[in-house]
Amino acid sequence: MKRYSSDWYWYYVINYTLVIIIIFPIYWTLISSFKKPNELITSEPTFYPREITLQYYDQIWNFDRQKRLQDTEAEDIDSYLPDGDGIKKPFLNSAIVSVGTIVFTVIVCTLGAYALTILNTPFKNFIFLLMILPILIPGISLIIPLYKLMREIGLTDSHLGLILLHSTAMLPLGIFMMRNAFNSIPNSLREVAMLEGSSELKIITTVMLPLAIPGLLTVMVFAMYISWNDYILAFLFVNSPENLMLNIALMKVALGGSQFEMKWGSLTSGSIISFIPIIIFYTFLQQYFVRGVTGSAVKE
Amino acid sequence: MTRLRKEQAVGLLMVLPALLLLAVFFLYPLANSFWMSFHKWPLFGKPKWVGLDNYIFMFQDERFWESLKFTFVYTLTVTPMLFIVAMGTALLCNAKAWGTTFFRSIYFLPVVMSFATASYVWLWLYSEMYGVIIYALEYFGFGGEKKNLNVWKTGTSSMWAVNAMVTWKFSGIQMIILIAGLQAIRDDFYEASKLMGASRWQTIWHVTLPLLRPSIALALILSIAGSIQAYEQFVIMTRGGPSNSTKTLVMHTVDMGFDYFKLGPAASLGVIIMIILFVLTVIQLRLFRKNY
Repeated sequence: MKRYSSDWYWYYVINYTLVIIIIFPIYWTLISSFKKPNELITSEPTFYPREITLQYYDQIWNFDRQKRLQDTEAEDIDSYLPDGDGIKKPFLNSAIVSVGTIVFTVIVCTLGAYALTILNTPFKNFIFLLMILPILIPGISLIIPLYKLMREIGLTDSHLGLILLHSTAMLPLGIFMMRNAFNSIPNSLREVAMLEGSSELKIITTVMLPLAIPGLLTVMVFAMYISWNDYILAFLFVNSPENLMLNIALMKVALGGSQFEMKWGSLTSGSIISFIPIIIFYTFLQQYFVRGVTGSAVKE
Repeated sequence: MTRLRKEQAVGLLMVLPALLLLAVFFLYPLANSFWMSFHKWPLFGKPKWVGLDNYIFMFQDERFWESLKFTFVYTLTVTPMLFIVAMGTALLCNAKAWGTTFFRSIYFLPVVMSFATASYVWLWLYSEMYGVIIYALEYFGFGGEKKNLNVWKTGTSSMWAVNAMVTWKFSGIQMIILIAGLQAIRDDFYEASKLMGASRWQTIWHVTLPLLRPSIALALILSIAGSIQAYEQFVIMTRGGPSNSTKTLVMHTVDMGFDYFKLGPAASLGVIIMIILFVLTVIQLRLFRKNY
């Protein structure tokens, strides 16, 4: 193909402009979180921090309302963090639920997909259709009966409840991805292992899973993504301070605080903290994110 | 024969956890949402069959129609925004050029940020007086002499502000779908159109777009279905305000169920959302099947 160099010039001008536009909100949040109060709240914004401070990170992570109440005059307490403590605990809670969802999803979907692909499970086509039925009916329309159910079985305000709900949300994609992965493995491998007298569980762990790693990683990445990003379930079903999830804890910062610099300093550093785990996943496992998106869009 | 029996039993046992999860947290609530929508739910005591009363109550509620209208307006405005950006970036990333992988991973980057975090980030960009977007807008003369621009002042400006955030956040997903579609188009088509002397825009218009139709349909339906479920972005950024002008269907459902404790009407709202989304997804699968 014959191309003119001016074409390429414009091609890169457009692309780099877009890159700057896309990166800018993240860059701005990052530098804002490091700025000193008088530089953060000013009518003349600076495009890089003149002086770097970690005070907001310290505050949003460690803030202890009780301690602060004892230390300072009680009158200005509400202008700091409105409803309680730093996000150390919520961050750990979200991490626990995410890891729980990843582990639970991987176990359930691997076993399920194996039974529905490799084994002669009765009704396996019907069961597979049931499994991908939730694509047609998004869970958000079921929040009212779900809430009633969670109350009845005593799973509100618990991490286990969230793990189970997030894993259910992962079922269609997880089963679908693992089924595709197992389908591409030649059956002869399993037969050899069976002749050697291996049990099905041993075949899964030693023969099948090592060959299904791309599918497995896609499932893990998406389980983490669904769990870490969930807002509505965490908001409606978990409410005690000690079980609070990260996204909801940040909401409390966003809602309150009459002191601008406290509020925005805490919110920007909190947003960066909440972005760190997922950006690590994205850096190393980017192709599996992309695979999951095309997979979840083109199921069937 | 016994080996087959054993394999069947093992298979059932292995699929059991997944089935249980599905039955308890999906199938049962699904059935229950219909059942609940036909009953009255007093705070104490037993539910009572009321037929279609919940639906009638809901349809007579002005807030339902307002939230339905707003949800549709939001869907109809954000979908073209998302699509234009996604299509543009997809075409850029599909060129045979150095750096496309890098550009693609940057354009996809906002997708992985959690929706709530993205809302907090943009809340800061839009923040009254000190937000950088507000600063830029005022620099270019918006907001008048007094420099007191506030995007959250009216429902319309709030919606466009949220639309901009959603476009930034989600166009990457559609871009990936469109790139997958673009890559499936064989090079012969482009070569043929070049032999016939077509210009670049003619090639895009007459060759690329028609062949891309299934992916375009899929991207559009996904964005429509996603927008109808809109919740987080408005709960965090506008809280439904000013004066309930940016309240979505899902927010209305949550209010009904969790603030007013009207479980019956809230369940019937869930059923309505379910029906809207179900119809959309069936159309999606149809479109996709037909073209492949």
